[in-house]
Amino acid sequence: MATFTFTPHIASRPTLSSSSKRKPKFNSIKTTKVSLQTSPPSLSDPFVLQLAETLEDSLPSSSLPFPLQKLRESSAETLLSTPWPSRRDEAFRFTDVSFIKQSQIHPISNPPQSSQLSSIPVETQFANVVIIDGHFVDSVSNLTELPNGVYVGSFIDLPSHSIAKRVSEFVDGKFVGDLFWSINGVGAPDLTVVYVPAGCKVENPIHFRYFSINGGEEGSKELAVSNPRVLVLVENGGEIEIIEEFLSGDGGRSYWANPVLEVVIGCGGKVKHSYIQNQSLNAAHIKWTSVQQESTSAYELVEISTGGKLSRHNVHIQQLGPETMTELSTLHLSVGNQTQDLHSSLVLDHPRGYSRQLHKCIVANPQGQAVFDGNVKVNRYAQQTDAGQLTRSLLLEPRATVNVKPNLQIIADDVKCSHGAAISDLEETQLFYFQARGIDLETARKALIFSFGAEVIERLPSTSVQKRVENHIKELLNTTLERS
Amino acid sequence: MAYCSSSSTTSASPVVRYLPSNSTSSTTSTFSPLPFRSNRRRSVRIATASLSPVNSPSTSFSGSQKNLLLEVKDLTAVIAESKQEILKGVNLVVYEGEVHAIMGKNGSGKSTFAKVLVGHPDYEVTGGSILFKGSDLLEMEPEERSLAGLFMSFQSPVEIPGVSNIDFLNMAYNARRRKLGLAELGPIEFYAYIFPKLDLVNMKTDFLNRNVNEGFSGGERKRNEILQLAVLGAEMAILDEIDSGLDVDALRDVAKAVNGLLTPNNSVLMITHYLRLLEFIEPSRIHIMEDGKIVKTGDISIAKLLEEEGYKAISTA
Repeated sequence: MATFTFTPHIASRPTLSSSSKRKPKFNSIKTTKVSLQTSPPSLSDPFVLQLAETLEDSLPSSSLPFPLQKLRESSAETLLSTPWPSRRDEAFRFTDVSFIKQSQIHPISNPPQSSQLSSIPVETQFANVVIIDGHFVDSVSNLTELPNGVYVGSFIDLPSHSIAKRVSEFVDGKFVGDLFWSINGVGAPDLTVVYVPAGCKVENPIHFRYFSINGGEEGSKELAVSNPRVLVLVENGGEIEIIEEFLSGDGGRSYWANPVLEVVIGCGGKVKHSYIQNQSLNAAHIKWTSVQQESTSAYELVEISTGGKLSRHNVHIQQLGPETMTELSTLHLSVGNQTQDLHSSLVLDHPRGYSRQLHKCIVANPQGQAVFDGNVKVNRYAQQTDAGQLTRSLLLEPRATVNVKPNLQIIADDVKCSHGAAISDLEETQLFYFQARGIDLETARKALIFSFGAEVIERLPSTSVQKRVENHIKELLNTTLERS
Repeated sequence: MAYCSSSSTTSASPVVRYLPSNSTSSTTSTFSPLPFRSNRRRSVRIATASLSPVNSPSTSFSGSQKNLLLEVKDLTAVIAESKQEILKGVNLVVYEGEVHAIMGKNGSGKSTFAKVLVGHPDYEVTGGSILFKGSDLLEMEPEERSLAGLFMSFQSPVEIPGVSNIDFLNMAYNARRRKLGLAELGPIEFYAYIFPKLDLVNMKTDFLNRNVNEGFSGGERKRNEILQLAVLGAEMAILDEIDSGLDVDALRDVAKAVNGLLTPNNSVLMITHYLRLLEFIEPSRIHIMEDGKIVKTGDISIAKLLEEEGYKAISTA
């Protein structure tokens, strides 16, 4: 039978405000940032060390602008004391990353050759950024119609010194994620910047297209790693829509995409973010999205992940002022022998914040897996917070697995918080209703499965993207359901 | 052996061939090119008439051209999970163009009977037979029964979040068209087809964009069932307590819609507790069900007696 575990956590701990999930004994001993990341003060992990060295060697050390140099150094330092995660680490209990460790990892040190660019399809609808194997490629991007004062491009090419200085404040920020965050910090060849000046409302979305063209042949142990890094800085009152699309590349190549996106939203600013992950079924895709929200700002994320052998999205959202609005919607689809993982953490420290999270996943393969760990922390001063969280999973095959762990940690005492979790197969009564109207079982199943995901797909702000995603999901489901 | 099997196929084939041609058309002309069918039907009719000596129908039952539509013989059924027997030998015969009603106490098996007819998976048939237009209904999947022209309106239809009413109807309508070998209708063509039908059930256009039965009031659900009937058509419509939870206006709308759909070839089987519905849609026969069997058949006078004196009057009569 299909299996699942469900561990809701509603903790109310008035004194402990540490971000650590470890047992208090570590908290009392160690208070530095590093200690929260690691198990007892450990020796360096030789595999991680070697990986960090390979990445460092692959990149030219000179000519890096100072903030990036600093990021690289601090990330390298963190890696010194961070071991490769195992299933014994809570954050990786259900997500096996050993497949990366067992591969031969090659960094991609050079930007793509111009002969490789001919395969990149032209996109005409939106202003768009093409990032190939972690490198921003200006020649195939199209950024001609940006409003005045808006900058999209490489950090090195920032036109004004004052903006460069402003952006630099955030390049090596306070937030430090896990090992994969730091690997990106060491391995990112460049930083792509989106800058929206105060009060500027960018009307059309900026479309980020990430391609992975280097990679081992299907079945090989080779894994080409790329570390794209993007920073979106929206000043007070600015508004922008970002579409991130990770494309599959040719066939079933094996590669490891390890992207980081940081978003900083000033007071009253607004960012709509679509993230579509459709990478090769032999790829590892481990993404970080870190968002900082000043007061009265709004951030909306809609994620649709269908690709990757191992796909994990880590989301960290930090509230910096009152009355923020945060909406996270996710659809994960596992049609093959693949893991789809969402680890999200939303930290509310100020009053009257509003947040909604919807996580939905469909596992349509006996070896498919979905993982969800959704943490919402409502700290002492976050009074009158309104936080809601819902996760729903559809398991369509025997032995298909989902592990969900929605958890609310509430310290403030005047809040409205809700969460729920449901795991099911399709409803018999609904299927019969279709049949009773002459619709065959297969069509009925497809319609019900698709409608389950449609709730998230409908939230994508761009209708053309919506249409494309819809067709892609229908295609995936059709081939899967016909096979079974 | 070879001869044996081939002869059995030929004898069965007229029935098989006959079926699609009948279901393709709701007009009367279908039957004229197949005179041998009506001959056979007539003989069956005589046989079954003798099974129910109680009835003396007062309405339209004169033409000997009438074709047998549904024939249920000694039907027994249990709840699939608990094996509890609910139907204990139901017999019922319905001809084309007839309106029948089944009444009976709560728990007498009326709704179970309706659900068994359309192949609900909660029940298991343990004995007896059901012939619909000459075919063995029990051999057919629920969707095949629907495509063959059998429709049941659900007493409490299920909500289907994420599927809009118009998409659902479009899917069901296209399944019918596929069966008839016709081209399927796209959303725009289908909208043009369905739009006039909304007036039939007195519903606004936004009804189509809402998800199937999601957040519908009791009245809206019933109207939606009748809208489906209007869109899909049916030779045999089983209306399971279509009047429950309806106010007088809604009941009148629903009844008007059902009457509008009646043709000389379409039959209706209503399940109800109340005389009120039978005043809007007049049945030619009324059956009383008790403990999994039809115990009495008659005309509207039974329903009137029931309304005045309750089931006691029937049982003791």
